[in-house]
This record gives sequence, structure tokens and C-alpha cells, in this order.
Amino acid sequence: MNTVLNISSSPHIRDKLTTTQIMRIVTLSLLPATVVGVVVHGVHALLIVLLSVGTAVLSEFAFDKLCHKPDTWKDFSAVVTGLMLALCLSPSAPLHLPVIGAMFAILIVKCCFGGLGKNFLNPALAARCFLLISFGTGMTQYALDGVTGATPVAELLQGKAVNITSMFLGTAPGVIGSSVLALLVGGLALWVMELIHGEICFSILISFTLFIGLFGGQGFDPKFLAAHLCGGGVVMAAFFMATDYTTSPVSKFGQMIYGVTIGVLGGIFRLFSGSADSFSYCVISANLLTPLIDTFVVPAPKAFKRKGHYARVTIPAMASRIPRPVIVLTAITVIAGLALSGVYSMTKDTIEAAHALANAASFKAVVPEAESFEASDALAETVASLDGVVYGSDYGRAYINEAYTALDADGNVVGYVVRATSSDGFDGDVSMAVGINPEGAVNGIAFTELNETPGMGMRVDEPEFKGQFEGKAVSKFTLNKAGGSTADDQIDTVSGASTTSGAVVNAVNAALDFYANNMKGGA
Amino acid sequence: MRNTFRGGVHPADHKDLSRDAALRPFLPTGEMVYPTSMHIGKPAKPVVKKGDAVLVGQRLAEADGFVSAHVYSSCSGTVKAIEKRRLLSGAMGDCIVVDNDGQFTKLEGFGEREDIYGIAPKEILKRVGDAGIVGLGGAGFPTHVKLAPKNPMGIEYLIANGAECEPYLTCNDQLMRTHAADIVEGLEIMLRLFPNAEAVICIEDNKPEALEAMRAAAAGKQRFSVRALKAKYPQGGEKSLIKVIAGIDYPASMLPADVGCVVENVGTIYAIQRAVIYHEPLYQHVLTLTGDAVKTPGNFIVPDGASFSELLEFAGGLKDGVNVKKALCGGPMMGIAMSTLDVPIQKQNNGLTLLIDDQVEAAEAQMTACLHCGRCTTVCPLKLMPQLMADALVDKDYERFENKLYGLECMQCGSCTYVCPAKRPLMQQFKQAKTEILAMKRAAAAGGKK
Repeated sequence: MNTVLNISSSPHIRDKLTTTQIMRIVTLSLLPATVVGVVVHGVHALLIVLLSVGTAVLSEFAFDKLCHKPDTWKDFSAVVTGLMLALCLSPSAPLHLPVIGAMFAILIVKCCFGGLGKNFLNPALAARCFLLISFGTGMTQYALDGVTGATPVAELLQGKAVNITSMFLGTAPGVIGSSVLALLVGGLALWVMELIHGEICFSILISFTLFIGLFGGQGFDPKFLAAHLCGGGVVMAAFFMATDYTTSPVSKFGQMIYGVTIGVLGGIFRLFSGSADSFSYCVISANLLTPLIDTFVVPAPKAFKRKGHYARVTIPAMASRIPRPVIVLTAITVIAGLALSGVYSMTKDTIEAAHALANAASFKAVVPEAESFEASDALAETVASLDGVVYGSDYGRAYINEAYTALDADGNVVGYVVRATSSDGFDGDVSMAVGINPEGAVNGIAFTELNETPGMGMRVDEPEFKGQFEGKAVSKFTLNKAGGSTADDQIDTVSGASTTSGAVVNAVNAALDFYANNMKGGA
Repeated sequence: MRNTFRGGVHPADHKDLSRDAALRPFLPTGEMVYPTSMHIGKPAKPVVKKGDAVLVGQRLAEADGFVSAHVYSSCSGTVKAIEKRRLLSGAMGDCIVVDNDGQFTKLEGFGEREDIYGIAPKEILKRVGDAGIVGLGGAGFPTHVKLAPKNPMGIEYLIANGAECEPYLTCNDQLMRTHAADIVEGLEIMLRLFPNAEAVICIEDNKPEALEAMRAAAAGKQRFSVRALKAKYPQGGEKSLIKVIAGIDYPASMLPADVGCVVENVGTIYAIQRAVIYHEPLYQHVLTLTGDAVKTPGNFIVPDGASFSELLEFAGGLKDGVNVKKALCGGPMMGIAMSTLDVPIQKQNNGLTLLIDDQVEAAEAQMTACLHCGRCTTVCPLKLMPQLMADALVDKDYERFENKLYGLECMQCGSCTYVCPAKRPLMQQFKQAKTEILAMKRAAAAGGKK
């Protein structure tokens, strides 16, 4: 027998589960969603997945070698990151996006902050947000079978009916990993294996559902709630993103705070920002709270909680564990918020009156001959039915707000006015009155709301741009980014402001379309 | 009724190796080495000199003070030396070395049954103290001290610990199967000390034979119950048992008696019965020899002072062509790793586990950064936050470790280390930090006095 035996402190046995095995299991749990995504979306989606995973692993490998670190690239955590990133990319995303994203996730978010277990944000989600900000269109255009369509959540937010079954199965337009069914299979398996904390997933789902139910305007309508839950990456976030070990709190209570934060933020972003991609931001925001939660939310062991049984134990004061500044700051925030909303509701009517005056002035500007503006009952009804609904399918997010027939002092028709808004401006809504003469040509346009960048987007209000519409009788204008157009239906962009120019053209086109369908011929 | 606590781990128990091996007495032939400190407290003072003839059951050293225990000879022979010898912890310690004549001649009047009807509690405590009984669960705390709490009337539960949650070990299982009546009798004696207590015999549900034997022995007795607990480590820990039986969590600053409980290992209870009824001192106890390196694992009645290596030889040695990497005194969760087997068996040792593979060595090679997966927090029976405690230690933030995270409460069961997928030595870090913090406190207290 050996004369020298190994010495170590107890315990002398270890559970078989290792870091690498956990990562492998998480990878496996993501496979159903990956397979469904690839089957539904095709080869391009597969390429995205492969590129993302490959780049992630290679990046970590390169970092290990360059910085002479232990070989952490083999531990499958980079695979998980790459796969998660791929699953929340659009299946039609250009192929440089997964590569840039995976490099950002691994090199910047993970390795630069100390590697596995040290990152302060979920690498995959941080990369996704980075891509969303940097490459807007490639990230937010979701093509299915070659046709770009709105995601179910975007449609849901516009008040349209959505097909919940296709959302559940993953056959609706959306990211690669949008099959709720497949995600649930993997996520619930992880939960049953106790590899993710149920406190996090379920507090997200429950708080989000409650928030949507309370503030979504449709009450607890199961179909409405199900549609919200199935879309916009809620399930992906709840089971795979938010449960990332490193960036979520340790204590059960802390995990619930974290989960509810995500759920409520998700609800706010979903209902009030109108963005379908907002869940990533919620999780990232909550990630930032984790160190704070872990510092302050530490439940005492049970022996220190129960007072009744023996009075002799001096129990450290567990009350007032929340530091005073946090309470004070929260109170200030709440008071400031209430004050702001109070001011808003008090001044709302005045502001609307001012708007109406401004609108009337702009109507006059585009049909100078007019003395009054009138709308028949049928026209008013049509306009009212379009309230808050995106107009048509070819004009981006364009809305028709008002429409009137312009009359001179004798009651003769001297033109028409349509007020239209596009929400695709660089800085919010672009709203304008479009004047049309009795012959159907554009008389002129006047902006009623324009908050674009001075010197760039704001230049659409200059005659060089606005003037291009005047006197043209076409059914639809097209934006000419090259400039120097001569054709009637071509509009040169304001250089450096193609987004704003596009919004204006879309709104004008929507107005013209509305005019052609509802007003032409003296309705 | 609850049958377990929250948390804990489920290591493979490997009890099949030895669970059905009947208890066999081990009679050594070589020299016997009796450390004077086989208990918590002051070492005993030798009462024999070199050259003295001794018999089985003769006192070799006597307790020095209240928290101390007598040491008895387990063989007959002559005292060869009183000198420092290597002990299982690796340190050198004072030992009485006896040349064993192999006859095992017993002291006169030894082992005769006495009718103890109406025996006074004081007399029970005296006999237990005289017998040099210490806690045989592993800690080795002098039993006569434990049985004399400040308020004996306030004890509600007398818990007989037959959980044996440590993997591999089966000697208490065998003891309960074969000596159930004796254990119940021992408990009846102890109940006289605690008039308001109920005896609860706790056994993990992976020992159906022992459960059945104890149930049969306790059937019809007043103030007795037998409870089957879920097999889970550390079910046999004092705090886990009290949590299950009395439903109480208590801090490290308190003793079980402070919450109305006395917990004794079934081996200790058996020793109490032998001491009170038969005047037999503690000189032998049960021990499991097991592990994947052992040819014939089994359960033995071993005399104190015999050498571990001789026990291995007696039991048939190692499997052919096998190299032992790790020898554990006790089981793999709480046992002490020994550098050599040529050390004496002590009173409180209940196992010798010989393993071919060292999982710790393998784990060290697999260590990764902490994932913050929270598995350690889930398994901690005390609901501490091992992961945050480790983070605090990285920052050397002892203040947070002690006051915010209750790090000093850790009872070192090792569940967190066992379960950690990143293979980080959590409990070992806590143990070290605890030692450092307590040392700093002592230094501060000493500084204050000057």
C-alpha cells in the first residue's frame, strides 16, 4: 500500500456535475428552439446560428491564447452565449451581425470583465442591444418566406388581431428562437433539473401578465394575455436570459425582486414605448440591479429570524436593512413622477387648444383661398375609424388624423386638407397638413409637429424640400436618395436626413391615398 | 409530520459494501497506543507508570477537570512507555503505550449485570463519567457533561441519533439491528435524567432492518417513538435532527440543551447502558472498515488504541493490486484524511474508508470560476449564502462575512463544497476564515485586558 496518502480537508467527495456539464445541458435545452427556428426560417437562419456560435467560441479561444489565460473556451459557456445571441437575431439578418455580436458578447462583455462568472451583463443580451442600436434595420426587419412583415407584437400593439397558434409554434415573423413551444420544452426541462431558478422565471411571467392585464386596456382577456406572453421574447427572457447565473441575484427573495423588476419593466416598455424588441433592455436593466440586490437582500438564517421560541438570543436588527438613501431616492422619484403627471394633466387641455389653433393656421397655409373647413358626417366617421391605426401597408407607420373639405366664403369647394402623421421620424412623430387643390394636385404642405435634428431633419421644413410637392398631381411620390430628380413623382431627400424625408413622403402619400379613396369627387 | 430538513445533498451512499456484514470483534496482537486526548477538552492525566501491568478495563489515565474523560485499557499487558506518538490528525500527542499480551484478561467484577431499579440521576451521571464515555458520533465531547445541562427539567426531546447519514458507514446500522433492546434500555436510563423528555429514535429510511428492530424494541414503551427520516446528508447533524424533531432552528451560540434537546449517537447510548448496568468503561466501540480498495468490507467491534493498519490486516487487507490514494477516518463527507494507517484507533472513530481514487484531486484540476449558480445556497442546511460568503472572503470583507452573512454560523457540513459544479473549496475557505476571525477576536479580547 502507498506510504504517502493524499491529505485534504473534508468533504472528500464531490458531486459529478461540473461547470462544463451545466453549459452542455443549457446548450441542449436551447436546441429545440434552434431546430424549429432553422426548419421554419431556412438555411440563412442556420448560417446565423453557426456563425454566432463559431465566432463566440473562436473569440474566447483567441482571448485565452492572447492573454495567456486557462483554456476556458472549452467549457461550453461560449457556445451557450453564441447560441442565445443567434436565437434572438432576425432570421434575415445580414451575416456580419452574428459575427460582430458574438465578438462583442465574448470579448467586451465577458472577457474584458473577467470571463466566466464575472460579467455584469448577460453577454448575449448585451450584444443584442448593441446590435439593435448600431444596426437598426438589419435587426428589426423580420422576413418570413422572403416577405418582410410586422412581428406579431408590433401588430398586437397596433390593435390588430394576431395568430396566437403561429406565435406559439414559432411560425410567425420574428427572431430565430421565437417558438414558444420549443423554448418552453427546454426551459421547463432546465427548471425541473433545478438548473435555473423558478423564482426568477415565474416572477417575470406572473408580474408581466398582471401588468399587461391591469394596464393593457383589455383586462384579463386570456387571448390578449397569451398573445403578449408568446411574443417579443418574453419566454426566452424568462427562462434563458434572466436566469443567467452570473447576472441574477442569489437569494430567493432577491430573485423575486429581480424577476418582478423585469416583468414590470417589460410591461411598461411593451405598452408605453410601443417597441416589440424591448424585453432585452428590461433584462439588461435588471442585470445592473443584481449587485445591489445581492449586497442588501441577504436573508438571515432561520435561527435568527424566529424570536418567539427563545428570548435570550440577541437577534441582530433585521429591520431597516434597506439603507436610508434608497428609501429617500425612491420617495423623491415617486413624488417627482406624480408632480410631472399632475402638471401634464392640468395643462393637457390648454395644449390641445393651442394645437388646434396651430392646425387651423396650417390648413389655411396650404389652401390659402379657403375661409372654412368642413367635413361631411361620412368623412368624419371614416377619419374617426382610422384613429390610432396605421394607415395602409405601404406607408410605414403613418396615421390619418383629420380631413376636411376647404370652402371659400361663397361655399365653393376650393380644395381639400388632410392632416397626416408619420411615426417614422428620426425623433418621433412628423405631422403635417397636406393641401390638395380641386384638380387633385398637391397645393402645399405645412408641418404641425416636427422635432427633428436642427440643421438636418429640420431642413424638410425649408422650401427647397417642401416645394417639391407643390403643384404635382401624382398618386404617389417616391423618395430619390440620389438627388437631382426631374420626374413629377420623385422627391429629392434632404441630404443627411433620409429618415425624416422618408417619413414626410410616407405621410404625404398616405394623405393622397386617403384623399383618392374618400374625398375625390367632392365627398 | 416532517421527516427531513430543507437543503442537504444526496451523495452515493455505498453502504451496500458493508451493510449486511455482522459485527465482528477485532482482537489485535501488537502494541496498543492510547492517546490521552481522545475527547474535546483537557487531556487526561496518566495514572500508570512504565512497567505497570494492566488488564482490560483498567484506568490508564484520569480526567483532568470536568470537561475531560478517563482513558481505559482495552488489552492486558504491561505499560511500555508514556511518550509522544503520531496521531491520526498527523500531529504528535501524548500516548500511553501498552505491550499487549494477547490474553485480554479482564478486570475482576467487570461486566456483571446489576439491577439498577431506583438508581438516582446523580449515580447515573457518575457512572457515565467514570466510564470515560465521549460522543461516539465523531466529535468526542465528554458525555457526562452533555447529560448534565443546567436545566434537566427543560429537556423535551432525548434524540437517539441513528441516522448515520455519512456515506459508506454502516456500523451503527448493525449495532441497532443487533443491540436494539440494549439501546432502548440505555435510553430508559437517560430518560431518568430528563423527567419531561420523550425519547425519539431517529433512523434514515435507507435502514429498514434497523428501523424494524428499534420499533420492535421500543414497542409499548412509554415516552418512546421511532422516526424514519429521509436519507440525506447531513441528516444526522445535531442541528438537522433538532430541526426535524423539535422544529427549532438555533444559532451557533446556543447548545441543543438550550432549546430543550439532547442528542446522542446510538453508539454512545449503548456505551451508557454498558457503563450504568454493567460497570463497563468505554474501551471498545463499533467501526466500519470500508471503501472500494478493501477486499472484505465489514463492521467491527474495535478496541481503542489498536492500530488502523492492523485492523485492515485482520479484516483481509486490500483488494489485489490496488493502490489506496486516500484513507479516511470516518466517512467521505466529514472524515479526516490520514497520511498513514499506523496510528491508533480512538474512542470517537467510527469508520475507516479506503478509496482508490481521490475525488478532491480530480476536482482541483476541474476548478473553474464561480458561476454564481446558487446550488450551494440551495443545499445549505442552515440557509446561509455560501456563494456570497465566498465573495466576501475574496474581498477580505470579514465584517460582511460575519455580521451580514452569518459566516460564523457555518457548521462545516461540507454540502456546499460537495455540490459546487465549479469545484470550489467553499467550506474549506469558511473554516479558515472562521479560525482567523476567532483568532482576531481572541487577540482583541486579550489586548483589551492589558
